Amino acid sequence: MIESLLNAFIAAAKIIGLNYSFLLSAYERGPWLEGIGITIGLALLSIVSSLLVGIVVASLLTSGKPWLANPTRAFVELTRNTPTLVQLYCAFFVLNMLINQAVGGAQNNPLSAFAWVVIVLSLHYGAIHAEALRAGIEAVPKVTRESALSLGFSRSESLRYVELPLAMRFALPSLVNNLVNLVKSTALGSAIAVGEVTYASLMIWTQRDNVLELMIFIFLVYGILTLLVARAGSWLETHLRMPGYGH
Amino acid sequence: MPHTETHHERPTLVQLRDVHLSFGSNKVLKGVDLNVRQGDAVSIIGPSGSGKSTILRCINGLLAPERGEIVVGNTPVHALKTEADRIALRKRIGFVFQQYNLFPHLSVLENIVIAPTRILGTDRQTAEREARELLARVRLSDKADAYPGQLSGGQQQRVAIARALAMHPELVLFDEVTSALDPETVGEVLAVIRELVQDGLTCILVTHEMRFAEEVSHEIVFTEGGEIVEHGTPQTIFHAPRNPRTHGFINALRN
Repeated sequence: MIESLLNAFIAAAKIIGLNYSFLLSAYERGPWLEGIGITIGLALLSIVSSLLVGIVVASLLTSGKPWLANPTRAFVELTRNTPTLVQLYCAFFVLNMLINQAVGGAQNNPLSAFAWVVIVLSLHYGAIHAEALRAGIEAVPKVTRESALSLGFSRSESLRYVELPLAMRFALPSLVNNLVNLVKSTALGSAIAVGEVTYASLMIWTQRDNVLELMIFIFLVYGILTLLVARAGSWLETHLRMPGYGH
Repeated sequence: MPHTETHHERPTLVQLRDVHLSFGSNKVLKGVDLNVRQGDAVSIIGPSGSGKSTILRCINGLLAPERGEIVVGNTPVHALKTEADRIALRKRIGFVFQQYNLFPHLSVLENIVIAPTRILGTDRQTAEREARELLARVRLSDKADAYPGQLSGGQQQRVAIARALAMHPELVLFDEVTSALDPETVGEVLAVIRELVQDGLTCILVTHEMRFAEEVSHEIVFTEGGEIVEHGTPQTIFHAPRNPRTHGFINALRN
């Protein structure tokens, strides 16, 4: 059934001059489909952990304590002002090598290339989320914080129960924008041979010279993934809307 | 006029001695003394910028005076060093703001239960039952599931009062709680405060509602330029003030 559908698709594509015959070769189709799975895995893990990093960094930035806020500010600036690709190279070729040496060989190093992509994307986008969240926290009126403190909330409880939930709402459009970018940035994994969909496609077209065909697929994969993130974002915006505020 | 004739015998709950505070070069409080007995309602009146709201923020430790003593119950507020100590103090003191300051992302019921459940560790059921009782008391039983943005100013302010009461405070500070309200909703908020005073809750009110202050207060304090110019019974302050500045202020309001 699937086989015949596949054949029909390949035959139809051939009419307009596109060669998708790689889909019939399990040896090529397997890694390519796996690549889609790896891209989704990278995106999901990085989305969750970048948001966690963002919350922590934003909390530190707005802590009002210079010994916490200043080093955090330095981290944010460093992260925002260097290319993600350079950060990934630096992490994988420098830090990872150092770790390899320290633990006595790559075979003892628990961090895979996949893990490094998640780590670098989480820190990079975490710093960018933090700026959006900081703007959100600073948009919370001072008197709202005062009223939380007056009820007996500690500074961190006020942040957790009052300021961050409000900041999250103010920052949501920016956060969703960041997450769409994050999904696309997972393609950077191809630079250190993580077999996500871009890398998997690259491996196929170097053999078959079917760049256009695979490009169309790649666009579709990222297009669908970013659409899903944007949809989830607008669902959240509707769901979290505060009755009586905004429109 | 205030009810109890024995209120002079009640112990002092709040005491301020020579409290000074500046914001930069602006001296806001210049030696404030204040005594509030348990169960009393004390109204602080005076022109804008005379330091009225600042006094309230010093009492619950939101602001720290540069000099002077503040004692609430047995707690020396001026000497509190850690956040934990200030939190312990604020749990005992309710604060109602001019701008209500409800949490806009939470329903009315959640606004009231969040502090008891998160801070006092009250179980959800008890907190919710008490919240509904408080809502009935401020006559908003039907609004439990509404959000602050859906309520009128007067309704929001009554929720804010219920939220403060949910912590079972021994003292409630009211900071110009009717100043932001439409005239027609002022009455419903004042009615709630009147009942609290009658129930014997200790209240300090910063207010511009002179008639209300005269009616409910045991004592009126007149501040100007960061000082307590005069204090006394409502009868004295409103009808026979000794200080010419008090006299001027009261007269200006009458005309």
